[in-house]
Amino acid sequence: MSWRLLRAEFLKQRSTRTNLELLGAMVGLIALIVYVHGVQLPVERLATRTAQLIVLGQGRMIGTLFGAILGGLSITGEFRHGTIRPTFVVTPKRGRVLLVKVVVGALFGVAFGLIAAAAAVGVGGAALAQRGVVLSLDGNDYALLLAGTAAGAGLWAAIGTGLGAVVRNQVPLLIGICIWLLFVESLLFEDLGLKKIAGISDIGRFLPGTLAKEAAGLGDQTLLAPGAAVLGLAVYAVAAAAIGWMAIRARDVP
Amino acid sequence: MSAIADQTIPHPATSNAVVRVTSLTKRYGSLTAVDDLSFSLEPGTITGFLGPNGAGKSTTLRMLLGLAEPTSGEAHVFGGPYRQLDEPARRVGAVLENNDMHPGRSGRNHLRILALAAGVSKRRVEEVLELGSLTGVAKRLVGTYSFGMRRRLGLAAALLGDPQLLILDEPGNGLDPKGMHWLRSFLRRFADEGGTVLISSHVLAEVAQTVDRVLIILGGRIVTGIGIGELAARGQTLEDVYLSVTSTEAS
Repeated sequence: MSWRLLRAEFLKQRSTRTNLELLGAMVGLIALIVYVHGVQLPVERLATRTAQLIVLGQGRMIGTLFGAILGGLSITGEFRHGTIRPTFVVTPKRGRVLLVKVVVGALFGVAFGLIAAAAAVGVGGAALAQRGVVLSLDGNDYALLLAGTAAGAGLWAAIGTGLGAVVRNQVPLLIGICIWLLFVESLLFEDLGLKKIAGISDIGRFLPGTLAKEAAGLGDQTLLAPGAAVLGLAVYAVAAAAIGWMAIRARDVP
Repeated sequence: MSAIADQTIPHPATSNAVVRVTSLTKRYGSLTAVDDLSFSLEPGTITGFLGPNGAGKSTTLRMLLGLAEPTSGEAHVFGGPYRQLDEPARRVGAVLENNDMHPGRSGRNHLRILALAAGVSKRRVEEVLELGSLTGVAKRLVGTYSFGMRRRLGLAAALLGDPQLLILDEPGNGLDPKGMHWLRSFLRRFADEGGTVLISSHVLAEVAQTVDRVLIILGGRIVTGIGIGELAARGQTLEDVYLSVTSTEAS
């Protein structure tokens, strides 16, 4: 990988306010959701470790979502503003451009994931302490929450970048990511209990959103160990990058 | 096709051509945007690429720059396809459209990103900012720039790698008379030092004063190629020729 392309991509990511605005929106959303959970749930329910993990782990889902959005924007933004043309004129080896975007997107995703997990733990811990709840999470829980959320957001940023190279258009990509993570995997699979139906659970535990959840130690514990979940998610990231590479290599740039 | 066209269609088989387009064709479904196009550009020349909107000018430029793949034929720069060039920014500079910039990024950062990718120094970024009279506004976001300022930023970006070939799509668009004068003298100097320029335009007057030769393209085909000196010798204006070939083809 080329050092100068990496530096160029870092400057691209730093030189507009897009990422700062995304970060602000993410932290605000997490603070709101965690605070509402921490304040609303009855104190006796909050006493259990499982309930506390749910409250303090709210940063995981939002972190994954914003990681994916960040990655998707890094390439669809170039198509939207036309900067993809000078980018490819200066670096016609398009695979290199995409690889660097995947790597830099993943690094920013990891940072977003760490901040998301830390924000949820901070706000959640404060909300519970305010209500006199004694926290029963240990160091391992916190470590897994931070590391798993960071890995999940980083790998989802890579997935978002790869898919962005295929879809190119910002709005459908972002809507697609939201529908997949919030509706298909969360609502249908988790909340409406699709995963309890025999056969579907076997597929469901290998879905990329579920893997991000397992990576942070927030799953059903029976599905996959966090390490295996990260590996599984990495396979998705590599596959998305490969599909993105095939799409961007051959297709004309408008 | 007119008699002039038959005599003066440029031959693609010259040896040291910087650009060589051979039987270039681009189809989008049933639409043929570029149709069996052939021409070549010699070092030290400025060539105007003229034609009405939709004639295939931009598609040809995009194929030369590796952004679009030909359906058939070849679009070669410096002896090969653009995408196979090593360090392309040091050989070719291009301005395609006016808005190939992020409005929320400063002019200087726009150039620094391209400079980093091209392996060009920060000092060169400041030089091209100065060249485009943009030093004073380099910190400002591109979104606050006027049309002419964005145009000059695009040109500054094309010059970053100190290229030998410039490919410019409608470069005079949005430039005020002073900017236009600057561009003309800049391109003349560039060509006199051995550089090669291909400018697409539909503003005939602007082209007539700048270029050595014109290629007129219509329906994806070159209908005329003629030197500006030749025109003067015949007592014709560029407008005469342009109107005659475009109306002949259209009828």
